[in-house]
Amino acid sequence: MKPYWDVNILTGTKTARIIEDPVQFAGLIKKATRPLYILGPDTVDRKIGDKLFLKYCLDLAKAGNLPICATAHVQKKMEEFGVQPNSSYDIIEIVNHLKDPEWQGVNKEGNHDLIVFSGVRCDLAERGLATLKHFAPHLKTMALCRFSHPNADFALPVIRKDEKWQEYFASLIANLIGDR
Amino acid sequence: MSKKNKAETLNIITNQVDTLNIIKGEDTWEPVGPTPLPQLPDLRNWSMRLLKTYKPFYAPFCDLCCNCTYGKCDLTSGKKGACGIDIATHQARWVLMQCCMGLACHGAHGRHLIDHLIEKYGEDYKIDLGMQVDVEAPIIRTVMGLKPETLGDLRTAVEYVERGLIHLVSSTHTGQEGNNLDFENKALHAGMLDHVALELTDIAQIVGYGYPTSIADTPLVELGWGAIDKTKPVVLAIGHNAASVNSMIDYLRDNDLEDKVEVCGICCTAHDVARYSDKAKIVGHLGKQLFFIRCGIADVVMTDEQCVRPDVPEEARKAGAALIATSDKISYGLEDVTEKEIDEIVRLVSEEKRQVLILNPEKAGAVAAKVAVVLAPNRKKGFIDTEAAIELAKDCIACDLCSQACPNMLSIGKAIKQFAANDIAMLSETFKRCFTCGKCEQKCPQSIPIVKIMQAVATKERYNVRSGRGPIHDVEIRQVGSPIVLGTIPGIVAFVGCSNYPKGDEEVADMMDEFARRKYIVCASGCAAMAAGMVKDKEGKTIWEKFPPGFEAGGVLNVGSCVANSHIVGAAIKVANIFAKLPGRANYECIADYIINRVGACGVAWGAYSQKALAIGTGCNRWGIPVVLGPHSAKYRRLYLSRKEEDDWNIMDGRTEKMTEEYVEPAPEHLAIVIESKERAMVSIAKYCIRRNDTPVGRQIKLNHYIALHKKYIGEGLPDDLHLFIRKPTDVPMFFKREVMEYLKEIDWKPRQQVGLPTLINTYPTKANIADIK
Repeated sequence: MKPYWDVNILTGTKTARIIEDPVQFAGLIKKATRPLYILGPDTVDRKIGDKLFLKYCLDLAKAGNLPICATAHVQKKMEEFGVQPNSSYDIIEIVNHLKDPEWQGVNKEGNHDLIVFSGVRCDLAERGLATLKHFAPHLKTMALCRFSHPNADFALPVIRKDEKWQEYFASLIANLIGDR
Repeated sequence: MSKKNKAETLNIITNQVDTLNIIKGEDTWEPVGPTPLPQLPDLRNWSMRLLKTYKPFYAPFCDLCCNCTYGKCDLTSGKKGACGIDIATHQARWVLMQCCMGLACHGAHGRHLIDHLIEKYGEDYKIDLGMQVDVEAPIIRTVMGLKPETLGDLRTAVEYVERGLIHLVSSTHTGQEGNNLDFENKALHAGMLDHVALELTDIAQIVGYGYPTSIADTPLVELGWGAIDKTKPVVLAIGHNAASVNSMIDYLRDNDLEDKVEVCGICCTAHDVARYSDKAKIVGHLGKQLFFIRCGIADVVMTDEQCVRPDVPEEARKAGAALIATSDKISYGLEDVTEKEIDEIVRLVSEEKRQVLILNPEKAGAVAAKVAVVLAPNRKKGFIDTEAAIELAKDCIACDLCSQACPNMLSIGKAIKQFAANDIAMLSETFKRCFTCGKCEQKCPQSIPIVKIMQAVATKERYNVRSGRGPIHDVEIRQVGSPIVLGTIPGIVAFVGCSNYPKGDEEVADMMDEFARRKYIVCASGCAAMAAGMVKDKEGKTIWEKFPPGFEAGGVLNVGSCVANSHIVGAAIKVANIFAKLPGRANYECIADYIINRVGACGVAWGAYSQKALAIGTGCNRWGIPVVLGPHSAKYRRLYLSRKEEDDWNIMDGRTEKMTEEYVEPAPEHLAIVIESKERAMVSIAKYCIRRNDTPVGRQIKLNHYIALHKKYIGEGLPDDLHLFIRKPTDVPMFFKREVMEYLKEIDWKPRQQVGLPTLINTYPTKANIADIK
């Protein structure tokens, strides 16, 4: 499937599996042993309807008990909501760590096996996902982004309407609550 | 001695003699260091030592290799190409090719200018950079061992670059180099040669055209499309090589027309013509090229080389402007009329509307001036008015294909739709972030002229930028050398490169302002210098009016066009060579070692887009200068990153010549990194100015900024890596003392010794002499 942004069109052979069903998406997260949720600055710059994108992401992290890596200046906004990230790296730095299977992860319990991206600037996220696709075969990547990301292992279809995007998040959260 | 060994020895001696002849080995200004005219193997160990700490990080743009007829080859999941190459090596090769393109541009630019100026003035024409600059060419001296005294010597330098470039390009052929680290060594070498090319080019134009030198307080130049007087005939120069537009200035002066013809420029040629004529104006950075041509204000568009859009002839024709191409590097398929008489060319261009190629700068300049005078009275110029623009926008069907095509991922469709409803705010903000590439229009099924509509929301204000000043003065280096090395001037931050900004010009201006207020030395060049000038504060002042123009704490200076970036690197070299009296001649490794350990410099190429910017940045990396890149630059596909807590940071203490046994701070932490937001970048830049040699007072000052910026932009607490940069309690900034000491206690931090003379020399096999750094 073509991503929303032309700049992210894949020139390649290995493309994401599109997960249309949030229940299935939640299932993939639940199966992970040590997931990591990476939140980029679009979470602070964009809204879904009237609500800040970050709020949805924090609700999701809470529901799924996902450790958070805040990139860019996301931590500042998280603190306003009374939440501390588990780590704060910029996107390239966290990707660089994730490449190493021996890295101990943000909780010092071993490297992560599933990386979920939200709100990272789309063209930069795509490059980070490409790095992980080629150089981190020990983990899987998911792009929880309405603009779709072909270099992830699992991605969403392009979701144009805010209502659909809200519905996807709501279902995802509902299917994660209490399971981790 | 065997016959073979004897022959080899003779060869070596012959080569040495040749080398010494080239660099005038008999000169006694300094003894020749260990690496005169270095070739690839000579500094390979230095590269490998850097790459041991700062490992290449690759972000492939494509899963495939399409380089040869074996392909396309799928390189995913550990697969190799039919030639045997793997994905990492392929990325490294790609980066080298890109660096070679950048190097070739600067080298060929320099070659053209030097040949032109030698033809004009002769090869013995003296290099004189004024009373304040004795060390005229710190890069050429350090890399080559040559002290250039004449234009002919600069030609020697460009020949060295050309020879190296052929070698580098050859290694990118299929079936040549097969290791990513060796490709990286070659990319670093290309970057180093690129800096030689930058320096020789700017020196040539300074001496050849009499650009400002040995003066800090250069004039303010009018900036912005709103500053261009469209009531006059207007000539727009685009590119980087000002030979032709400067010749036009000569023509205007000779014919008493300088006040009657408006000369303006886009991109670096604008900086350079403004260094030549105080009447020339700067339209803006390269990102506004299509926008300005389409405004139709220019009567004549004159292109030279680099960063010029391939569709300029088509766009100029649509705008009713004449086009004169002046470089054989950008000939556009046009007829070469160089041999024709000036008046005949003027007739062809103004009456027959022919677009032409003129390869003689003097002739091109005269023709451009004359054509502008002829054409201007009959042309209607001006921006579209808001009402007309709104009418055009009303054709929008909200398909949003324009947004999808935008390389900067702007919501253009929504902005156009709102504009059609008479709400201009969003389109106005969108324009600030737009580099007017026109891709949105290509996708529009309604053929809405989006770039033209943007004229209605573009500010018409006049801004300013300080004219490029050229080299940093030796006396300035003597004044700030000590505080830089001790750390009491917290750093030199250089904002350079192109205008591919994620969020517009304001970001560069904001960052420069933040660091200038914190008393860093803030340098700028090229499009970054222009972008910074396109923003005014509440009092209506640009950054160029707010801060002093000297190389001093809190100074904000514009060195000039992108070839003038050499002077920023040159300043770091001069700190080693002039302030610390480190032998510089052909002593690359010692000087670079000094810079990486003691000179807190950090480059910021927030909008880098070009291959030239990659070459410049990679050259900085070989000198040990870290470079922060904006998010678009992940598309360069390679960075140099460390991992501060996992990697081996042990170095040598030059005084004892023993390896350190304790953890040494990861400074600088990375050599080339992409950072996602301006806020994060500012915190990181402050950190990347920390050096191992900082005194406790200097470290306190640097950490004070690091913590303060972290609290301002990232979070209330302390940076989670702060402890790595604190050697002793005396490093802790007074302002945050209580909080930091509590944190250190909480994590069971232990003090450690400051390394007396931190160095990488002798931590790897090298011909460099450790005694030089003592």
